[in-house]
Amino acid sequence: MKVRINWKRAAIALAVLPVAALFVAWLGFFNVGAASGHWKITEWFLHFAMRSAVRTYALPIAPPDGPPPVGVRPAAGHYAAGCAMCHGAPGAPRGATVRAMLPAPPALTAAALADWSDAELFRIVKHGLRFTGMPAWPAQARDDEVWAMVAFLRRLPELAPRDYRSLAYGEAPPDSAGDVANRFEGALAGCARCHGRDGTGGGETVPVIAGQRPAYLAASLAAYAEGRRASGIMQLAAGQADAALFDRLARHYAGQSAPAAPPTDAAPELIERGRAIARRGIPERDVPACLGCHGRPERNPVYPGLDGQRPDYLANQLRLFAAGVRGGTPYSHLMTAFADELTVRERAALAAYFASRPAR
Amino acid sequence: MRARASAAFGLAVPAIATAACSGPQSALDPHGVEAQAVATLFWWMTLAGALIWCAVIGALVYAGRRRRRVFSARAAGRIVLWAGAVTPSVLLLILLGYGLALMPDLRPASALTANDRLHVEVVGEQFWWRVIYHRPDGPPVVSANEVRLPVGTRVAFSLKSADVIHAFWIPQLGGKMDMIPGRTNRFSLQATRAGTFRGPCTEFCGPSHALMAFAAVAMDEEAFAGWLEREAGPAVRTEGPGLDAFLANGCGACHTIRGTPADGTIGPDLTHLGARKTLAAGALPNTEAAIARFVAAPEAVKPGARMPAFGMLPEREIAAIAAYLAGLE
Ligand code: HEC
Ligand code: HEC
Ligand code: HEC
Ligand code: HEC
Ligand SMILES: [Cu+2]
Repeated sequence: MKVRINWKRAAIALAVLPVAALFVAWLGFFNVGAASGHWKITEWFLHFAMRSAVRTYALPIAPPDGPPPVGVRPAAGHYAAGCAMCHGAPGAPRGATVRAMLPAPPALTAAALADWSDAELFRIVKHGLRFTGMPAWPAQARDDEVWAMVAFLRRLPELAPRDYRSLAYGEAPPDSAGDVANRFEGALAGCARCHGRDGTGGGETVPVIAGQRPAYLAASLAAYAEGRRASGIMQLAAGQADAALFDRLARHYAGQSAPAAPPTDAAPELIERGRAIARRGIPERDVPACLGCHGRPERNPVYPGLDGQRPDYLANQLRLFAAGVRGGTPYSHLMTAFADELTVRERAALAAYFASRPAR
Repeated sequence: MRARASAAFGLAVPAIATAACSGPQSALDPHGVEAQAVATLFWWMTLAGALIWCAVIGALVYAGRRRRRVFSARAAGRIVLWAGAVTPSVLLLILLGYGLALMPDLRPASALTANDRLHVEVVGEQFWWRVIYHRPDGPPVVSANEVRLPVGTRVAFSLKSADVIHAFWIPQLGGKMDMIPGRTNRFSLQATRAGTFRGPCTEFCGPSHALMAFAAVAMDEEAFAGWLEREAGPAVRTEGPGLDAFLANGCGACHTIRGTPADGTIGPDLTHLGARKTLAAGALPNTEAAIARFVAAPEAVKPGARMPAFGMLPEREIAAIAAYLAGLE
């Protein structure tokens, strides 16, 4: 018998096909278990497709120009809390359960990472990998954090376990979180990995929280935990702490004394420009005087102090406000209202000025 | 049925037409020299228009109904010449001459020479008015959203804009003139009778254009002098929980209240807010409740307003601020 293909038959076949597919799926013969692994050819094909897609989607991504990204230290801290359980870390290899994933998260060795360009790593870390368990960055608005993570990944393979620990855990030993019976001490040990117990640690992009106003610290922690302030790093850290402890953590850090502002290498004209804007604002562009809200004890307790804060952190927050992605407490729209009127140079001037003032 | 409809129409048209003849924003109820001149011009033009209309319709009816014979070519030519060209040209020339004769009083030269006593600078901003009184004796007096002037004196105005084009017009006194970014436009006004009028923004300037207006008050010479003296002074109350909350929440970064540390210049000067006729550039009546409502959600009252909302403050703090501001007479 000869089957002749015509339009009518083709249309019927097309209509029946999805029903047949649904039926086969309903029968449930397809094995979704991870234990048996993929056929070699499937595995080859899936990796081929994944690599090609990462390469194509990374084409338009340009690494930020300028100095290499700062913020490797908080990225290391974030890696310890958010990535190491899958990918392992120096001195802490992947666990057996993770190695039984399909696909298993690879150890991020020099050989594994050599295959990827910086833009491709950025693409993977920011967007994650569908169907593999590799998560996306929790705050899609924070490309600066993702680049910091890429910079850290480049250093990761050559780190000795001791160096990795001091980068990721600061002065706090990694296992202290496990030992402590006291819940508050446990949470504080988690924060101390980046901020130190005294609230002054962490490097350029981590704010000094020592001596900051307690109402602002508590409101900011709530904002991170509830996703109202975008930061992949702090959203994870705040989410891992018990919200009932936010007030105590805030009071602890507010009670620490802030370090004296380190001598600044900013040009005096830059600081002077910052001072002028802080005092009088830029009325032609509807930018109000910063000191109308910041830097006086009788101001609303949720308005943060800026004096002695790290300049890189301040400039970065102003950039985020200007881009409209900073979020924060229920008061944060007060900053968004005018931040986009400030030029990059004015933001740098303001950051230099506030950083040069004696800490609160 | 037809008759009733046309009767209703006949009543509605004059009612609508005359509704514009009085009220705080009517150019047909003049209280100033310029508005009077413009109103007179308007009535003359209306009268002339009515006469011409009657003549044209009369001629039409005459030609169609009464006269059945055809005009000779010469007679027709003469009618076209006199009724179609000469008469309208003469009428238009007379009106043009009359209109031009009105101009000098409204123009910059006279605006500057006619008065060296008081000069009011008005700056249009989305969506409010910054008003500065320059006095020959003493420093300028900064106010907002209200223009006051003495009856019987010619007052010079300089008009500016901080962002987009606005236009300044007090229909019952005179105007209107555009406020153009980067330019200073000058003109002058002289009120002839006391009264309170409304000045709308008359150039579309954004989402709250229709909510951008001001009160204009013409006062007797003496009352005006007294008012300006008071307006120049500091706030009547310079302490209390309302002011504390005002300063603590950073309102002072944008608003000035003279006599207190609040010295911001982004938004309207609030030193004598309580004494103004309206709130937020004519958008609301000036009451304590309206102040609280505006501070909590300016966007809800005036879409696009350049003041951030403070609805996240505890209600009692907003109430204390509103009570304090309402008391600033
Ligand atoms: C739930 C486990 C899990 C977590 C948590 C996780 N990953 Fe992955 N990661 C994976 C898996 C699975 C893959 C894909 C492996 C594959 O396709 O071969 C992957 C792939 C990667 C790759 C590509 C490596 C390669 O050579 O294919 C990088 C880089 C990477 N992850 C970085 C990170 C970083 C940085 C974090 C923390 C922000 C992180 N991952 C968190 C599971 C995880
Ligand atoms: C992995 C590193 C890391 C850990 C762990 C960490 N933080 Fe942070 N923290 C940061 C970084 C980075 C920022 C700046 C985030 C941003 O850009 O919004 C930050 C910001 C903050 C802020 C906002 C300060 C400001 O001035 O706005 C507070 C408050 C804070 N952290 C408190 C904590 C507390 C409390 C803990 C412990 C529960 C903690 N952090 C754990 C890295 C960390
Ligand atoms: C009307 C009040 C107000 C004015 C004026 C104001 N700020 Fe703020 N600012 C705030 C509030 C409120 C926050 C806290 C936002 C949040 O996290 O919810 C803030 C936060 C900040 C932060 C982030 C601090 C941190 O620790 O993360 C910076 C930086 C900042 N402001 C800089 C400025 C500068 C520079 C100016 C002047 C050009 C200025 N502010 C003017 C109210 C104000
Ligand atoms: C970022 C600058 C800014 C801040 C901060 C600010 N305002 Fe305003 N405010 C404005 C502007 C601009 C207007 C004019 C809005 C309009 O009418 O279009 C205004 C208008 C007003 C008015 C109406 C004034 C009038 O002439 O009728 C009141 C009342 C007022 N603000 C009170 C407050 C109070 C109270 C606070 C603090 C809780 C505050 N403002 C904080 C910018 C600001
Ligand atoms: Cu306008």
